[in-house]
Amino acid sequence: MSSSHDKPVDPNQVVLWSDDYEGHDVISTRTFGFWMYILSDGMLFATLFAAYGVLSYSHSYYTGPTPAQFVAPWYTFIQTMALFLSVLAYGFSMASLKTGSKAGVINGIIASMVLGIVFVGLDIHDVLRMISIGVTPEVSGGLSAFYALTQVHAAHIFVGLIWMLVMLYQILRKGFTEDVVGRLISLRMFWQFQAVMWVFIYVFVYLWGYMS
Amino acid sequence: MLNKAKQSHLRYLAIIPLLLLLNGCAKHSIWWIFNPKGVGAKASYDYMMIDVAVMLAIVGVTAILIVWFMWKYQKGKNRGTYDGKWEHSRKLEVAFWGIPIVAVAFLSWAVAIHGSFAVNPYNPTIITKHMKPKGDPIQVDVIATDWQWLFIYPQFHNMAVANELVVPAHTPVFFKLTSTAVTTDFFVPQLLGMIDVMPGMRTKDALESNNLGTYQGIAADYCGAGTSWMLFKTKVVSMADFKQWADGVENSPNTMNYAAFNRFAEPYINVKDKTPVYGHVEHGLFNHLLLEVMDGKKWPLPMFMTENMFHCLKLQASEHRA
Amino acid sequence: MLVNVPGPWSPLLGRLALSEIPYTNPILAPLFVVIVLAGIALVAAITYYGKWGYLWKEWFTTVDHKKLGVMYIILGLVMLFRGFIDGLMMRTQQMLAVGPGDNGMKAMGAIHGYLTPFHFGQVYSAHGLIMILLAATPLLVGIMNIIVPLQIGARDMAYPYLNALGLWITAAAVFLIMISLFVGDFSHNGWFGYAPIFELAYSPGVGVDYWIWTLELVALGTTLGSINFLATVVKMRAPGMTWSRLPIFTWSAVSANIIALTSFPCLQVALALVGADRYLGTHFFTAGFGGNLMLYTNLFWLWGHPEVYFVILPAFGMISEIIPAFSEKPIFGYTAMVLATFAIAGVSWIVWLHHFFTMGMGPYVSTEFSIATMLVGIPTGVKVFNWAATMYKGRLTFSAAMLWAIGALFLLLIGGLTGMMLSIPAVNYMVHNSVFVVAHFHMMLLCIVYAVFGAVIFWFPKVFGFKLHEAWGKIMFWLFSAGTFLVFFPMFMLGFMGETRRLDWPFDPHWAVWFDVQEIGIAVYVLSVLAFLWMIYVSIRDRAHHRVGADAWGTSRSLEWLTDSPVPFYNYAMVPHINARDEAAWRREHGFSESRPDHFAAIHMPNNTGVAVYIGALTFVIGFGLTWRIWWLTVAALILTVLIMIYRSGKGDPGYVISAEEMEKLDRQSRQNMSDGQQHLPKGGGYTGGTVTAYSAAASDQRPQGTPPGNSRPLS
Repeated sequence: MSSSHDKPVDPNQVVLWSDDYEGHDVISTRTFGFWMYILSDGMLFATLFAAYGVLSYSHSYYTGPTPAQFVAPWYTFIQTMALFLSVLAYGFSMASLKTGSKAGVINGIIASMVLGIVFVGLDIHDVLRMISIGVTPEVSGGLSAFYALTQVHAAHIFVGLIWMLVMLYQILRKGFTEDVVGRLISLRMFWQFQAVMWVFIYVFVYLWGYMS
Repeated sequence: MLNKAKQSHLRYLAIIPLLLLLNGCAKHSIWWIFNPKGVGAKASYDYMMIDVAVMLAIVGVTAILIVWFMWKYQKGKNRGTYDGKWEHSRKLEVAFWGIPIVAVAFLSWAVAIHGSFAVNPYNPTIITKHMKPKGDPIQVDVIATDWQWLFIYPQFHNMAVANELVVPAHTPVFFKLTSTAVTTDFFVPQLLGMIDVMPGMRTKDALESNNLGTYQGIAADYCGAGTSWMLFKTKVVSMADFKQWADGVENSPNTMNYAAFNRFAEPYINVKDKTPVYGHVEHGLFNHLLLEVMDGKKWPLPMFMTENMFHCLKLQASEHRA
Repeated sequence: MLVNVPGPWSPLLGRLALSEIPYTNPILAPLFVVIVLAGIALVAAITYYGKWGYLWKEWFTTVDHKKLGVMYIILGLVMLFRGFIDGLMMRTQQMLAVGPGDNGMKAMGAIHGYLTPFHFGQVYSAHGLIMILLAATPLLVGIMNIIVPLQIGARDMAYPYLNALGLWITAAAVFLIMISLFVGDFSHNGWFGYAPIFELAYSPGVGVDYWIWTLELVALGTTLGSINFLATVVKMRAPGMTWSRLPIFTWSAVSANIIALTSFPCLQVALALVGADRYLGTHFFTAGFGGNLMLYTNLFWLWGHPEVYFVILPAFGMISEIIPAFSEKPIFGYTAMVLATFAIAGVSWIVWLHHFFTMGMGPYVSTEFSIATMLVGIPTGVKVFNWAATMYKGRLTFSAAMLWAIGALFLLLIGGLTGMMLSIPAVNYMVHNSVFVVAHFHMMLLCIVYAVFGAVIFWFPKVFGFKLHEAWGKIMFWLFSAGTFLVFFPMFMLGFMGETRRLDWPFDPHWAVWFDVQEIGIAVYVLSVLAFLWMIYVSIRDRAHHRVGADAWGTSRSLEWLTDSPVPFYNYAMVPHINARDEAAWRREHGFSESRPDHFAAIHMPNNTGVAVYIGALTFVIGFGLTWRIWWLTVAALILTVLIMIYRSGKGDPGYVISAEEMEKLDRQSRQNMSDGQQHLPKGGGYTGGTVTAYSAAASDQRPQGTPPGNSRPLS
């Protein structure tokens, strides 16, 4: 800054080395970085949505079925509820973290995991049902995009479940260390973000697909 | 210093190509982009010149300024006054933003917008606006295979010619283009700009030339091993010559039905520059092909087809296609 | 679900077979022998001198951002050379092949030149991919890695372990593309790939698979890096380092990494979908069955254009550091520079369509993207003007670094001029897919290379404590520039002659003379490579004569020049308090340049770890397994990777603490090192142990808590 260059400086007053620099706040840095990851994950989903958007014209389904013929919005609604409740359970778990209740955190995560497993189980069942009626990704570009978007999301949920399992172990083993708490916060962001993505998928792929 | 001296010699070398450039413009040209012979290519050339003139004015002055600063403010030479605090000037900053903004605004209006419509491949106003047809426009259906071109003339008994395009002068020619297998690019540097040719899709382009001659056509986008050989001569001839030529082709006993086309579309490198003609091709071949490709029809490439070109050509010969 | 592949497949080896190794190829087979022999010699030499432990402890397992940066740069330079050899092969092929008639080498199976179309395609595809993603990107990431933490007064990156992970995943990508030379083929569809030619039916070999997984790995590595950079700059700035005092290079790193973070996922998705088409039989980009091949082109360039600015913006940042230092003036128009940087970054997202104007999307869309593209010219113009104004009223020293920076400026002017031509659809139709475009983007990428060479010369003394040989640096510059002129001026001319790109057989004999000139240019480039190697050799040999202090150039401006050269592993003994935008210049002007901290505090440093190396190696195995469809190997490596990650997460890294007394000793030592005329290679921090970090100091090391490791040599 030119002004600071021009200003006269009193050598006795000037601060050249900082005493109070304690490095950085581990949790806040970790959380910021995880926000950045969420941003890139959002771009990943955005690209998949773009692909789905381009490949959801009627001719994209070639001669195969369109979503209206095979999606089951009510069935998927149960999935939605499972995921939402899972996020809610994780929220309770995080509330317990604030009070430092180990049991509360663990119970919350277990509930969240069970509901997540329900979600993945329902998803696998749905995929098997669709495959059994001949709705496979090889049929048409539209179905390829349908599977890519929904199953990439399911893969994210699966990774989240493994993460929860690891966190359960770490909580029991180490308690609430800085690392563990930071990871729990990141996992919360991850889980909520996947739920948000699911809302978009549910609306644009299942509901919209059912109606069009 | 030795390296400095070397550099100054290189500057002299730089003049030689410029001489060649001027020389090249005068005679039969190898500078295809600078010697447009088609209406569209000429328009593109004109827009290019406007753009280069405007940009060269800015870039050239900047380059000269930088060189001048380098000379004037070299340390130890005391040619200019040093001011180590000078880092801001409102007037200059306004100019620094203003000059490019004005230039870009001008180019957007004069070149980008006008040009995009003038040479829009689907409806080039430069051709359609001034259409003074001395005959009806000619329609040519272009099919790119791996790696040949097939030009079908629906108005002329559905005749076709492969790897050679013949069009009459002073007449708009409208192309519909598609490809059998992969994406490539239709390009005649002196006549018309590039347009992608894609399988299962139809693109369009248009051409009008008032200069008789033979011009090189190129498959401008990489489309596999035979890309370099996927050439076609474009002959711009007088209408009378064109009619005469068309009569000759129409009477050719060689015809092409869809089965024959299927065979034609198999991967083939046109090393011998063959230009077979077909007096008649099956009606609706172009649309039929489009639908077939959209239904997943493929002309797959044999594995390692061109790992050895001699084997590849031998294979072609054994199939009696060479 | 997995589609059948043409050719044999076995559960154990996938598509791999002895016949996939091109041992009969007269180019690759000898090259393979040479590389194997060189590799054996290298391994033998390291073993003989007993350096494995040193390499492992000090380099492979390091999490020190400077060492990781150095390794990134070495990786980038090696790949720059590999890419150059590809370029040499392409030039030679076109020179030999040009014109009519059969002039080919029968032994190679070519009817024109010495390469068949199949091999020529692989060469240029590898050239493009390597130069952009495995040479330019690692070079820039490496320099950012070294300089950004120093410029903001941080001890390291925000996530040192993630930093190492990014390096080793990038290295895995490098190994994958290098092994494609000798096992199987590489893609022949150009570095960006075309739909639908990369579909299995039209590219039945493994080349495209190599291409997919190389790109996926490097994309992963770069994304991790970009998260790290952003967190570092946002969270780790020293006190007083406000946003308005951030050095321009750091600003450009911020903008570049925002671009990388948001754009690389598009690439990952685009390529994953190509992979799905090839492996699972989906129809994303097929011509039939409702696929959309234009979607691929859009998705790819949706990443591709931001990527272009991801590599050019740091280069602009480097120019913005070098020119003020050798003009002895602050950068002109700091705020305008920052705004221009972000304007370029912002516009990068809305221009991707100009890579395929010829697809025929109609005049309205074309015009929009044309004008958006031209908008880039405004902030870029501002930058060039500002650099010129920085030189105005300056005191210019034409050191080697300054020459490279000014050279970059001129290349940028030519690239800008031709870029403005290409941005106009009417003009673009005539020169798109011609070598004119190739020449244009080489101007821009060489602008980056020039900036990188300038930056390497400029910051080399900061990292290693001695300057590179100035005269040889200048000789290299002039040779390189002569090569650039001789190769790319003819290329522009060939573009005006209508030569399209990627011709393994340039059919027009009129082009021959220009190819000959280009070949001469390539020869001059070879000389410049030799000059570079000689410069490195001479500099290391005479390093005692080129020792520098903290402020290596005497006119440096930004914060990194405050700390000692070579930079100690902890960067700053005491974190500096920032008082001005150009802190080093400010301290010099006010007589504080000799000031050192009078007291010290304990600091906390991260431990070294071998985990990143293992995960890097495993990602290579995953990529290789996927390429050859060796499913058991892929799955095993994937599971192992996850397990290692979980294991590492359980271990954590508490780091270690260096006490205040120890810091004082280290600081005194570092100062002595600078003035004793001896060369001291940068020493590492961090304990290294066995498999995973031996984070417990006492367990792995008998040294007392606080002894800086890596200093096993006596501190003399």
